[in-house]
Amino acid sequence: MKRLGPFVFERRLAPTRAAILGYSLLAILAALIVMSFIFWAYGVSPIKAYSVIGRTTLGSRFGLMEILRRAIPLLLCGVGLVIAFRAKFWNIGAEGQLLAGAVAATWVALFSGVSGPMKLPLMFVLGFAAGAVWGIIPALLKVKLQVNDVISTLMMNYIMAYFVKWLIYGPWRGPTMRGFAYTDLFPRDAWLPLIRHSKVHWPTLVIGIAAAVLAALILSRTRLGYEIRVVGDSPDAAHYAGISFLGVSLWVMLLSGGLAGLAGVGEVAGIHHRLLEPDHVSLGYGYTAIIVAWLARGSPLAAIITSLLFGLIFAAGDEIKVTLQMPFQITGVFNGLILFFLIGVEVFLYWKIRVVRGGKETEWAGKAGS
Amino acid sequence: MRKLVLLTAVILLFGLVVFGAEKIKAGFVYVGPIGDYGWTHAHDLARRIVDDKFDWLETVYVESVPEGQEGAIIDRLIAQGCNVIFTTSFGFMDGPLEAAMRYPDVIFAHCSGFKRYKNMATYMADFYQVYYLNGLMAGALTKTGKIGYVAAHPIPELKRHINAFTIGVREVNPDAEVHVRWIYSWYDPAAAKEATEALIAEGCDVFAFTEDSPTVVQVAAENGLPSFAHYSPMLKFAPDHVVSGQLVHWEKIYEDFLVKVHEGIYTTENLAYVDYWWTLPQGAVELGADFGVPINPVWEDELKAKVIDHPVFGKVSIYDLVMIRHSQFGAPGITFDPFQGPVYDRKGVLRIPEGTWPSYETLVTMQWAVDGVVGPWPGEPEE
Amino acid sequence: MGWESWIVDTLRRALAYGTPLLWGTLGEIYAERAGVVNLGVEGMMILGALSAFAVAQSTGNPWIGVLAAAVVGGLAALIHAFFSVTLRANQYVSGLALTIFGLGLSGLLGTSWVGISLKNPLPKATIPGLSRIPILGDALFRDHSYLTYIGLFLAVVLWFVLYKTRWGISIRSVGESPSTADAMGINVFLVRYLCVIFGGVLAGVAGGFLSVEYRPSWTEGMTAGMGWIVIALTIFAAWDPLQAVGGVVLFGGLYHLAYRLQRWFPPEFLKLMPYAFAILVLAVAGLRKVRRGAPAALGLPYVRGQR
Repeated sequence: MKRLGPFVFERRLAPTRAAILGYSLLAILAALIVMSFIFWAYGVSPIKAYSVIGRTTLGSRFGLMEILRRAIPLLLCGVGLVIAFRAKFWNIGAEGQLLAGAVAATWVALFSGVSGPMKLPLMFVLGFAAGAVWGIIPALLKVKLQVNDVISTLMMNYIMAYFVKWLIYGPWRGPTMRGFAYTDLFPRDAWLPLIRHSKVHWPTLVIGIAAAVLAALILSRTRLGYEIRVVGDSPDAAHYAGISFLGVSLWVMLLSGGLAGLAGVGEVAGIHHRLLEPDHVSLGYGYTAIIVAWLARGSPLAAIITSLLFGLIFAAGDEIKVTLQMPFQITGVFNGLILFFLIGVEVFLYWKIRVVRGGKETEWAGKAGS
Repeated sequence: MRKLVLLTAVILLFGLVVFGAEKIKAGFVYVGPIGDYGWTHAHDLARRIVDDKFDWLETVYVESVPEGQEGAIIDRLIAQGCNVIFTTSFGFMDGPLEAAMRYPDVIFAHCSGFKRYKNMATYMADFYQVYYLNGLMAGALTKTGKIGYVAAHPIPELKRHINAFTIGVREVNPDAEVHVRWIYSWYDPAAAKEATEALIAEGCDVFAFTEDSPTVVQVAAENGLPSFAHYSPMLKFAPDHVVSGQLVHWEKIYEDFLVKVHEGIYTTENLAYVDYWWTLPQGAVELGADFGVPINPVWEDELKAKVIDHPVFGKVSIYDLVMIRHSQFGAPGITFDPFQGPVYDRKGVLRIPEGTWPSYETLVTMQWAVDGVVGPWPGEPEE
Repeated sequence: MGWESWIVDTLRRALAYGTPLLWGTLGEIYAERAGVVNLGVEGMMILGALSAFAVAQSTGNPWIGVLAAAVVGGLAALIHAFFSVTLRANQYVSGLALTIFGLGLSGLLGTSWVGISLKNPLPKATIPGLSRIPILGDALFRDHSYLTYIGLFLAVVLWFVLYKTRWGISIRSVGESPSTADAMGINVFLVRYLCVIFGGVLAGVAGGFLSVEYRPSWTEGMTAGMGWIVIALTIFAAWDPLQAVGGVVLFGGLYHLAYRLQRWFPPEFLKLMPYAFAILVLAVAGLRKVRRGAPAALGLPYVRGQR
């Protein structure tokens, strides 16, 4: 318990789902209100702005499909990060793991000689494997050599990005691309099917939802899930319980990296159909997924909702640029505000705040036994 | 039968007139931010110029569109009424093409690409002649015989420019070398600065570059060295040190294209062979570091004083040589090409035979490096 | 050109390129020593860069520009401090939000400053005496920015403060065990606020260095990821201001060499070298069982009366 002027803060242990949802909506509303001043200052009527954004994203089939399309990589990376964060493994490297998956998928699509119906499944399998390898390296480095996970995963993003550049400027540069740094287009049997009249590569979406469900089951129902939770909550307890820190770290990063790798497969096989500059393969999905995972508060299923939320923000950003003709930086300001408010309401989630007048303070203190 | 043909022709003509009289709403899809002071900045400047000029024209733009996302952006632009779409990055290639097939009533123009369709043209303003002219001056100004070149990405466009520049350098200074450093980014000031510093440490004393910021100009000036600007007017960043450079006028292409759409000359049926490859003669590019200043007056005397024995023109000052060559690229007809054969690459392979000029294909797919280029050359063809 | 010139050039460029990294890292070290991770370095730097340029251009005095960058950086950090210390929000997300917000806001406000050359950039200086030392004098004490010298001096001072003074003990104990610090009578909240704001001030100056000295002009996104390198360097330096100098010189030197060596090695591999090297050094330190402990309470909000 803590007192700040007339306010008394009381610790709330586990906020209810309804509280989380309610306060999150409140935060978004608050961000929208602040944002409306920015629209207004920019000479755009906030009412018009929001009605346009609402109509063109949630209010149209096209907009809904755009949200889904953006949510796919966020979901896959996000679920993986939820698992990693549960074990307190700070994987900042989903972006690099995603690219690793994209590289493996490109190899299958263009250079493996495989064709036919097994090609796409093989792309997913090897994409998962490549992402997993890129994830396991920091795990080994952390457990065996005490290399900080934030730094190793972050640095490995840069390394993979330059590796992709080397591939597309060098050995994998497509002969039909007139010397530009792209691989050739994938043959049609390496293209993911789309939902009609949209760019939603549904197989990846299905895999993403399946991954969320599976991850939830693993975390709640399996021995591995239990070990992950113990390692995350209390490394000391894990040690005494005889849980192998190495084993848990490897499993966690295998899953986390592998899922990000799948997201990379989806982007190249569903959207681009070739390998290209790393900043264009992924629009920072691996970094945005960190926020997706954090907002999901350790629940892989909640990542479905939070990835949709950020899919919506990406789509709204496009609308702000196209329909309202505003500078693209406005989306950064908007995203920043939403995040600030979302974390700002945390205080209401984990703390009960009451106003106390004068000397009644002691009463409350007496109640806060925990 | 004849009546039918006549009738069809009348209808077509009428259709053209109706289309031509319509207002045009042009949507511009940019790959970078309009504040980049380079590629996208220049396109947007041109968009504003044509927008102001014609009252039948309305323009909208979308900046910072990553490659692969252009399809959805084009859909949105068309949904809000655009009937002409410009896309300004090679990497947008497939998006506009797919959209052109999906929207047969909309006219597309794709910058720097090569895939066309009945309602999709391509366009490009190219600098290689101007780079060659800059090379003449750079070759005359170097004292160490080493010229630094900071380059964004090893793609044909840049290779063509570096080669043309080097040919210019070697025309006046046959032993000079052009040292190239790649920064792998269109925009990364720190990388451009450190690449320039590395070249200075290597002994380079004149600089040219292809990258979207005035960094190289600024760093060279800090070290008291001359440089050549790129793309935007950069004279003001180092008034005493910038010698010349290249400037772009996209509005020339946009104006020509949009007027022809407005007048019904370009339709959704006849663009499959419309490809603008505009250079100095059409005014799409300009020599200089600021508009109307081909050579910085500060450097005029030095360039006039430096006289060489030229194989074609005999005793000639560098200043005059630049002017002669510049006029050879001008109207009415081009009488010279920097890549006039024979051109050998640095591995000794004859790339352009004696007495010929390179074809457009050769120029836009150029992968080799000419003699005099020093440094890594990713994608260099084997001998 | 012999080997001396290679050493001189590499060290010179390492310091020049590394100056903003050094300022940013020193600031982040203090914030993290007090237990607060701030991933908003990139955002604070870019806001600093814009304000420094705008103010320096308007007043004609680059030092006032740097001052403005420091103030704006500090104010940006205040936002982070409010969320992470007072509201006890997730520090990683708050920092990310600050970076996203700062990049967006600076781009939005900076449009009118694009394409302008700064009238009066920050001057350079040579230190008399020291610059005569063979090799090292040329590399370290000749024609560097004032901010480079101040940064190096600051590293020593901040090291001394952190390890040899009562303030330093307070800061470190707040980062190691806030409850113990609290029990000792240290105002945990105040220390954390001050350290985060101090970190923001230094990050602001780092950004200002970019726009009024390193490349005297404004372009949006001109920090180009330096803020993330700062985060990595902070860990790399084991939260020690003197090791930060070493880390910055190593990273900056490799960054420079990536361009010097392009003639002989594939450029892509040279460009990934600094990043790979950072991991390698940490791995070797791990092999040799060097302990590099992070502040124990790093990233954890402090709640009075709770352990």
